[in-house]
Formats: sequence, structure tokens, C-alpha cells
Amino acid sequence: MSSITLTSSDGVDISVERTTAERSVLIKNMLEDLGDSGEAIPIPNVNEAVLKKVIEWCEHHKHDPPSASDDDDNRRKTTDIDEWDQKFMQVDQEMLFEIILAANYLDIKALLDVGCKTVANMIKGKSPEEIRKTFNIQNDFTSEEEDQIRRENEWAEDR
Amino acid sequence: MEGEPLPDAPDAPDTRISPTLQLQTTTVPEFPALSLSPSFKLDEGYSDDTRSQADKDLGSDNVMALPNWVLAQSEAGRAELAYSLLRSLRTSSIAAVVDRLNPILHIDPCVRLPPEVTWEIFTYLDARTLLNASLASRSWRERILDSGLWRFHYIHEGWDMDTSAIRAFEQEHSEAMSPQTRKSRLRHSEPDLGEPKQKKRVPSTWLDSRSGGNQKPTVFGPETPVADSEGDHYMTDDDDQAAPSSTDDPEFTLPTNISQSPSPLYPPLRSHLLIRDTDGSAKVNYFHIYKQRRRLEANWHQGRYTNFQLPDPSHPEEAHRECVYAIQFEGRWLVSGSRDKTVRVWNLDTKRLWHPPLVGHIKSVLCLQFDPRPEENIIISGSSDRSVIVWKFSTGEKIHQIEQAHTDSVLNLKFDHRYLVTCSKDRTVKVWNRRDLLPNSKDYPRICHGSGATYPTWIVDLNAVAPNVLEAGIAHEQYKALEPYTLLMTVEGHGAAVNAMQIHGDDIVTASGDRVIKVWNIRTGACSKTLLGHEKGIACVEFDSRRIISGSNDNSVRIYDHATGAEVACLRAHSNLVRTLQAGFGDAPGADETLHGEARACEAAFFAAQEAGLDVDMGHREQRRNGYQPNTAGSRDPRDIPALGAKIPPGGGGSSWARIVSGSYDESILIWHKDRDNRWITDHQLRHSDALANSARANLSQVARTTVAAQAQHLQAAQALAALGQNANVNPHAGRSNPQFVPPLVINALPLNTPPAHHHHHHGHQRRPQGSSTAARVFKLQFDARKLICASVDPRIVGWDFACDDEDIIEASPFFKGL
Repeated sequence: MSSITLTSSDGVDISVERTTAERSVLIKNMLEDLGDSGEAIPIPNVNEAVLKKVIEWCEHHKHDPPSASDDDDNRRKTTDIDEWDQKFMQVDQEMLFEIILAANYLDIKALLDVGCKTVANMIKGKSPEEIRKTFNIQNDFTSEEEDQIRRENEWAEDR
Repeated sequence: MEGEPLPDAPDAPDTRISPTLQLQTTTVPEFPALSLSPSFKLDEGYSDDTRSQADKDLGSDNVMALPNWVLAQSEAGRAELAYSLLRSLRTSSIAAVVDRLNPILHIDPCVRLPPEVTWEIFTYLDARTLLNASLASRSWRERILDSGLWRFHYIHEGWDMDTSAIRAFEQEHSEAMSPQTRKSRLRHSEPDLGEPKQKKRVPSTWLDSRSGGNQKPTVFGPETPVADSEGDHYMTDDDDQAAPSSTDDPEFTLPTNISQSPSPLYPPLRSHLLIRDTDGSAKVNYFHIYKQRRRLEANWHQGRYTNFQLPDPSHPEEAHRECVYAIQFEGRWLVSGSRDKTVRVWNLDTKRLWHPPLVGHIKSVLCLQFDPRPEENIIISGSSDRSVIVWKFSTGEKIHQIEQAHTDSVLNLKFDHRYLVTCSKDRTVKVWNRRDLLPNSKDYPRICHGSGATYPTWIVDLNAVAPNVLEAGIAHEQYKALEPYTLLMTVEGHGAAVNAMQIHGDDIVTASGDRVIKVWNIRTGACSKTLLGHEKGIACVEFDSRRIISGSNDNSVRIYDHATGAEVACLRAHSNLVRTLQAGFGDAPGADETLHGEARACEAAFFAAQEAGLDVDMGHREQRRNGYQPNTAGSRDPRDIPALGAKIPPGGGGSSWARIVSGSYDESILIWHKDRDNRWITDHQLRHSDALANSARANLSQVARTTVAAQAQHLQAAQALAALGQNANVNPHAGRSNPQFVPPLVINALPLNTPPAHHHHHHGHQRRPQGSSTAARVFKLQFDARKLICASVDPRIVGWDFACDDEDIIEASPFFKGL
């Protein structure tokens, strides 16, 4: 079983099984294009803590069948997340967003999906004020603007 | 580090590590204070945003320098220390510290994540949640009102759009701009350069100019082209009134400073159909399109419409002389066939006859189909004179006639580019070619012995001729091409008149007075399925490749799973034969997987209930015994599940916007939609006679009028509907029929020994104006996204326009397609 070395943005080398690392389309394509020279692959946008977390996810999901369709339009948009992934995503927001950014950069679609679903679930069912609280957002609307927007949005209220 | 521009995201994976990137946030003991420092932004690397929220929030929040002995501790050691220190404080002080830590623990995704990632997040949320979230802040609102995001949501609602109409519209309005107005309006502070930046307001002058002169805007059909100068005007106008560029606006860069007057809303408060892309080209705003479609759907749900009739009441001389059996519309054209033996072509924009009536049949025209596209340009009609006539659509000239196509009335016909298929009261279905057909064509019939199909002698049995012999025979003109409209096969199998049929790909679906629906292969004539369930003859059938939907003399509408033939719903509300229907399930992309999943989930629930010892069973007898009346209209309750093994769930699945419209000999038209539990219900009953009365008065529906009045009084729509409910008089179903009327439809009316039908009484807000009592059995209806058109015993064709005179909906509706 061959393994490769990834170098995190903070210069830490992490050894990982090749099949695990290939959950990342970026790494997979790189290995295919350049061949496995045995040299460490720099991952300049992901630090050690995040990279380890991402590898943990890839490790757990390395035997997943490749997703039936990567075509965005053909995915059913439910925010259901399986139990393991839910636990995995129970991290602080800093780490959550770092994982999402890393998954986006490394092109790990399924992990990006789980991350986005997690954030979507944090938005669901909340009032604007609760959303602001959840994500430390400054309200930069005047109360008059808020009223106007609310009225303008009435068409989307339940049938 | 603060304020230093971030490195751009590296394009190439082998980019060497930048020294600045080695500064990291978490768990790096060498940089102990970093977890409180804004420099944790550095590893982001994806955004051009030079200011993070943490920057601005912590900028004034100076953290005291820590003594060296503290810094020398490990991460865990410092954590322990911090905890002990906090525990030594009063609770109020702890709360104050937590408050100060808040910006680290709670991060705005619209600041931290690039637009393509928040886009992805927003695809998981529904319209209501999104609009609610758009109130969080200006940047949330701007990202949520992204046009592309709403295109995604529009498609995933199961709505269809006319992409070629949209492209043509965009092109037209892009070309209308002069190069000088094509300014690039990129904003440096925004990372989402790909997004449309200027959502443009369409001035009212533009709206007026569209219809040309002082005419009112046309109701249906393609847009009137806009002159170039008008496009210029609209774009120039926009430049003048555009919001100040936010980079020049100091308040924008300091969004926390909201005590001063804020910048105008961007995108503007009210959405508009056109927006300008970064390159200056005009694009439709899918947020606006989504919104108008949703408002249009709400009109269907709430029964708000205006009525019209063909011909326009000012030209009664153009009307059919007798009842109308067949209609079809597409774009601005409607073609009708009548008992008066004529076929008529109507312009829906003017509500006027387009040609003189097409005369050729010597008895009633019972069925027709047309295709106005230039490459087809054709109308085909079938008649009780047993013949089929092919007409040129654009001129109305008769170009072909199949005399004696059947030995009795031609009750229905359908064609595609390859075949014409006809069905008849003579119990047969016939397949004809539309083009020259050689035996080596893939469309040539394949003789299938024992299939019940018979083939004329001129059909070569390809099983009996070796391919090389066949090729040689064609080369030597031993086998000649069959002329268009040559009989290819006759399919027999029904025991009564074949009343209705559909074709879809290689499937022919037929419905007969013998109470069954059959599915045939169009190349071989072999019957692949027989669907049972109806208790009396079947009058109409629809087929969308996943479901077969039928209406019958047993007064019910039934939905079958095409894959397995299982009946998945039975809708009962009509009190007489269901003569015509159309169904749109609004399948979103990936629907097969979704439908299978839903069907499996229902089965799992059924078996779980059975295992738990609950009283569930297939079939009605057991359930009746314990007094339970199952819901057959799509309920997914384990007690109601009608069949196991189907590929689609009870009710047929599809989007929550799914719609069935059925027309009956009880003189009513019912609009069915699904409730929250996926059960088909009907709130609105329409009547031909009401539509006539309304359109003659050029009036709104009662509901629409009441709603408009309510809005005028600033009342809530809900109150208006409640008020309506009090006035609603429940309509007794009138059984009057036209005495001289002879139905062309032959129904084998032998009743089976059936349990009494369970009627679902959903009498809504139907009303019947005084003085209008024309009995109007409904013969044929068709709907699209915006309108419903119906033919009946009355020679006048009537329509319901659910845009209900709303300018915004009317403007957007050329881009809508049905479900």
C-alpha cells in the first residue's frame, strides 16, 4: 500500500495512504499528471490542524463509492448528514470554515457538501437576529430598510 | 501583518509555500498569542477581501502582552491557566470576557467564505429561509439575491423555462447597447467578480414601448422587439441612476459605522427582469423570474385569474358553429376541431381567427395535433368520417388525406417526427410513417409474431431477410421506400373503442372503453403492459414517461406507475365521466433517484408498521372491516399505501407544485394540487359558463376581484380569502346535458360490482353567476404555466389567465414553461 507525504502550509509533513489522499481530486490529478516522485506535496493553503482533520475524514470515507453524479444540478438537496459526519463537523466555526475552504481548495466534493450542509443547518429556522448572533454579523440595515425588505419578501411566505 | 494584502489563491498546486503562510493559528506553540490575533486570516488564501471581520472587531480590542512564563507554557497548559483565571472572576466578568471572545467563536460566512462556497450553502435552503436570511446584513442580501442561485432554485422547484426565449431576449437587449455604455463596473472590494453587479431597473417607458404605440401590452406570445434606441435609453438611464460605486463610498468600507446614513440598497429593493453583467451585457435576473413564477403559482393555488374567450366577444361570427371536441395550443397559436366539421386556427394574442376555417372533413372533427415550427408546419386531424387529414399549418391548405384510415370514427391521434398513430372506435390502433421509409431505416417496423399486431403485406419481415440481401434489394430497388402516411401496422387488443392515446419515445399508451390501459411498442406493436383499476370505460390518458394518468367514466382520475403498472393514486371528486385531463408533476433534475427513494421509504414504513403489529394491509376489504377508509389520493400513511414495488411513491411524487387539471361531463374543471402530506386535493372548481360570463364582461375572477379590492383597502390577503369563504355557495353538480349532443366517445358502461366511491368533497370557492346556465360538458382542456384553455359543448373556447393582469408576471411569463 503506497503512501505519500503532504506538507501543510505551516511546514509539517504528514504521511498518508495514497488512496485516502486521492479523495482529493486536486491531489489525485496532481499524482496522475506528475507521477509519484516520492517528494512531499505542498498544500500551501491548509495548515496542519486542518489538514489532519481533512485526512481523518478522507480516511473514514476512503471506501465510499464515487458519487453517482458530480453534476450539481442532479443532486437532490437535502441537508441530511450521516451520523459520523455530523460528529466530525462538531467543531468551532473557525475550524468548520477552514475545513470547508480546504475541501473547496483540495476539491473534495463530498466533504464540501457536508460542510455546506452543516452551515445551512445553522441558518435554517432562525430569525435574522438569531442568524446575526450565530455568525457575529453586524446589522447594517436601518430599521426602515428592514421593514421595506420584509414587505418586499412577502411573496415567499408559505402558500 | 495587519492590513497587508493577502496573497492570491495559488493557481498551480506546486506553488511553493509563501513565508507569510507559515504563520498559523491553531496549536502552534511558537506563536502563542495568535489564537487571539487577526492574522489567522492568513491561511485563507481564497478571497480578495483584504479586511476580515475579525480585523474590524478586534482592531480596538488590544490584547495585553503576556509575560514570558505564560508564553512558555504548552497550549494545554495555557488553556488550563486561562480556565483557572476565568474561574477566579465574578460571573459578570466572565460574561464580559466571553462577549469579547465572541468574534473569534462566531464568524460571518459571507466574510470568511468565497461566494462560490456560500452559493453552495444557499442551494440547500428554500426560498423563504433565504429571504429571511437576506435580512442578516447587506452582504448576505447581496449574495443571496444572486441571479444564478435563483436559477438553480427555479429548476429545482421542478419548473421549466424557455431557455431559447431567454437567450434571444438577452441577446436582443445586449445588442441594443452602444459600446460606450458598456463600462466595466468591477468593484475591487468584492471578491465575487463573476457575479452580476448592476441589477438594472427597467424604466416604465421601456415597458410601455414594448407593445408599440398606445396599445396595451399583448397578453400572450413572444415579445414585440424593442428598437435599438430604446435599449440605449434604458441602459443610459440606468447609468444615471446607478447607485454610487461602493468603493468610493467611505461608509461602505466601514459597514459597522451605521449611525450615518447608509448607502442605497444593492441590489435595489425591488427586483427587475433585466440586470447587467460585468461585461455590460444584459441578463435576465433569475431572482425576478423565480419570484414571478412563484407569484403566478400562488394565483393558481388561490384561484386568481382573468378570463378570455375565442373568438373575442366582438367577433361572434368567427366562432365554431357547434361544440368543440379538440383543442391544442402552442405559443401564440391555438387549433380547434369541432362538430361543425371544421378545423380553426386562432391567434391567442388577438383572440381572432387566423385563417378561414379549414374545410375538408365531412363529419365532426374529433381529434387533432399541430406543430407550428417551420420544419414541421403541420396540422393533422381525425374525424368521425373515418379519415385523417394533413394540413399545412401556415396556409391551412390540405396536403394529404388518409381516406378510410379506420373502419369507424378516428377518436384520437398523436404524431412525432417519425410516426403518426391513430386510434378508433373500431377498437384498433394504427401506426403510419411520416417520412419516406426504407426497410433499412431504424424506424422501420419489426414484425413480431404473436404480438396481436398485424402488418400489411408491403412490410418486409426483417427477421426473414439477411442484412446483405436487404441492402442489395434496396440498391436494386426491389424494396422501395414507403411513401409518407403508409400504414405500418394495425394493433388490436382492446375489447372496446380506443378513446385516447399518447406516444412517448417508443411507447404507445392507449385507453379504452374496455376499462384497461395498454402500453405498446411503436416498432413492433407488441403489448408490454395492461393496467387495470378503472371500474368503467376510460376516456382520457396522459403519459410523462414515469406515470400514466387516466380519467374514466367511473368518475375517477387514476395515476399508475409506468415501470410496474401499479396504481399509485385514485382521485375522486368529479360526479360524472372524466373526459379530459393534463398532469404536470414538475420533476426536478435527478427525479428518478428521488422518486425511487420516496417509494422505498414508503414501503419501509409499511413493513415497519406491519412488523409493529399495526393493522395495515393491502386491499380495501381488510381496511373496510375495521372501519378504516383509506386515502387513495397519495397519502403515504402505511395504512393507505395502495401498492408495493412501485418505482414512484403513492400519489406519483414530483414537486410540491405538481398540478393535475381534469375536465368532466359534470361540467366542471378541477385543479388538483398536493397538500403538505402529498395527498392530491382540489380547492378550485372552474366552469365554462362562468368563464364566458367573466370574459364577456372582460372581468376578473371573483377571487381576483375580491383580492384586488382587499389590497386596495390594505387588507391581508388571508382576510380577503376568509371573507370569500363566507360567501361561497356550494355548487350542486348539475347533470344537465345538451339533448341533441351525441358524444363521440364510446364508453363501455357496464358497472362492476364495486364498493361505493368515497367522495372527497373539497368544494372551494366556486360560484355560478346568476343568469348563466349553459350546460357545458367539458371535452378538452390544456394548460401551460400561465393559462388554462378549455373546449366544451359551447362553441366558444374559453380560457383562464392566471397572470391575472399582473404586469410583472406578464412580463416574465414568456420565459416560463409548464411543469
